[in-house]
Amino acid sequence: MSRSVGSDNAEERLRRIEAVTDTTLAHLAVEELLEELLKRVRDILDADTATVLLVDGGGQNLIATASSGIEEEVRQGVRIRVGRGFAGRIAARREPLVLERVSPATVANPLLWQKGIQSLAGVPLVAGGELLGVLHIGRISGDPFTSRDVELLQLAADRVALATRARRSHVERAAASALQRSLLPARLPRIPGLELSARYAPGEGGSVSGDWYDVFTLPSGWLCVAIGDVVGRGLTAATVMSRMRTAMRSFAIDSADPSEALSKADRHVRHFEPQTMATIAYAMWEPSLERMHLSLAGHLAPVMAPAGGVAALAEVPIDPPVGVGSAPLRRNTTVIDVPPGATVLFYTDGLVERRHRPLDAGLKLLRDSVVSGPTETVCSTVMARLVGNDPTDDDIAVLALRRQTPEELRTMDLDVDAVPESLSDIRSALRRWLPAVGASEDDVADLLVVVGEACANAVEHAYGPRGGPLNIRLEAGEDEVRVTVKDSGNWREPRGRLRGKGTQLMRQLSDELHVEHDPHGTTVHIRRRLAGGDPP
Amino acid sequence: MTIAHVEVRAQDETSVDIAISGEIDLSNAVSVQDGVFSAITNRLLSVRIDLAGVTYLDSAGLRILFALADRLRLLQTSCIIVAPFGSPTRRVIELSGLDNLVTVDA
Repeated sequence: MSRSVGSDNAEERLRRIEAVTDTTLAHLAVEELLEELLKRVRDILDADTATVLLVDGGGQNLIATASSGIEEEVRQGVRIRVGRGFAGRIAARREPLVLERVSPATVANPLLWQKGIQSLAGVPLVAGGELLGVLHIGRISGDPFTSRDVELLQLAADRVALATRARRSHVERAAASALQRSLLPARLPRIPGLELSARYAPGEGGSVSGDWYDVFTLPSGWLCVAIGDVVGRGLTAATVMSRMRTAMRSFAIDSADPSEALSKADRHVRHFEPQTMATIAYAMWEPSLERMHLSLAGHLAPVMAPAGGVAALAEVPIDPPVGVGSAPLRRNTTVIDVPPGATVLFYTDGLVERRHRPLDAGLKLLRDSVVSGPTETVCSTVMARLVGNDPTDDDIAVLALRRQTPEELRTMDLDVDAVPESLSDIRSALRRWLPAVGASEDDVADLLVVVGEACANAVEHAYGPRGGPLNIRLEAGEDEVRVTVKDSGNWREPRGRLRGKGTQLMRQLSDELHVEHDPHGTTVHIRRRLAGGDPP
Repeated sequence: MTIAHVEVRAQDETSVDIAISGEIDLSNAVSVQDGVFSAITNRLLSVRIDLAGVTYLDSAGLRILFALADRLRLLQTSCIIVAPFGSPTRRVIELSGLDNLVTVDA
């Protein structure tokens, strides 16, 4: 094999290195790009192997990311500690290194000497003062690398570093925003009696940080609302955010009140995410939706706007963010009345913080912008007035919830699957809806059983084990409630002992009960006068 | 998800006191029945079932109580069901006629 070391070839070789970053490579992902670049580097420097190892997130290890001529390095996930072995020393000193005799004593990675590589040359990959990794090449023949080879290798490495950094930050941005998108609820849950809307806007240049919001119900019928902001940027903040979001859900499910859930989140962050700080507003709504229990961990208070009234920030003490300090801190929960027609708006600081505008001015503008009404309009108005066309580098999350008025709630449709698991969801919906249309506690208890029996009948008798559609239509009239429970199944007579109690109960607890079986399914009509507190 | 807890609160050679809390419907009736029945042996003279903590009970729950009353009658074991006045379960139990078979206390 001829070695091209003459100065007459230097120019040609340089030109070929320039080609290392040409535009035909623009569409490739980092790994593919590096593989293509390594092929060219091998060719230019007559090397048998070429490998790029990139520093991992913690900065402690080099990971083989692309390789040419010794692909098993990548396949086996070779990992070298910074400071150890050939590549590790280059990374630690950020200086080129040439080895003329490869041996177990000088090279940590056994693949290199097993391959029969005799000489190695490596250079650091540095871009913008940041160490990205190491590029090294090897020759089996044992021809030593000259200082001219090393110069050319460094030249190629600088191109590789620039391209890698540009590509990686692009990929990180894309990954962070994909992660963010996948974690924000694609569709907010449908909560009878509550209207919900949300907005999320990434910062300028599509950069995301750690904002999130989440809305979910608990088995107890309580509704949980979380909005938070993990301090930091990019992929790191987005991944911490994703873990925080999941952690908050697990703490929610076994915490009696919001401050308890936030105390658990605080302990979790201080132990498992020690470099992290996050602000969270966490609210638990009673199943009736009449009151919200709220705790703030360093997060701005939500805006409360009563129907037809002036909006104000909720008067709630702001406790420290989670992940601050070395000991748990006392946290507060405040119970806030949410009258029918009122809107509650949660947001992250990106909405109100601007370099050219004091925070108080932003909060005042926000209060002035919130008028209780359809939540889609509330969100659009707030985004238009506070963000408008004014770019910000922070991301923004906004979540608006409005309690519907009794007038809006005169009729309501629930569409569920006729499976046993739906029964508790139906009860949660009834427990919200019935008091809103004037039912007393006794009315609610009785109607829960009547409607529950009708639905349980559909679950048990209308369909096979896969279930089928079940529609519950609720209508509030003058001092009475009408409920229609409709399935589209094939009625089968009840089996087993001790049956018939259900139908008896339904008759006893309602004022009118009428069951229609036809080939298209079964419809149960229920009418019940509202006693308004006096048991019939 | 419908959740109920069955807890054996006190137990000696002749009696057992079982407290149920949560909700009982079609989806969890079988496991509630298993929980209650497995806490009762044939040596007992009396069984007390406290429903004060139950927030929802329909015919699926009534079936458990009727089946229990039936079995205990055969075993000649006395059965007391506690359902406080004004509680959601009290009304359903009274309407069902269960109080003709077992003692219902407040």
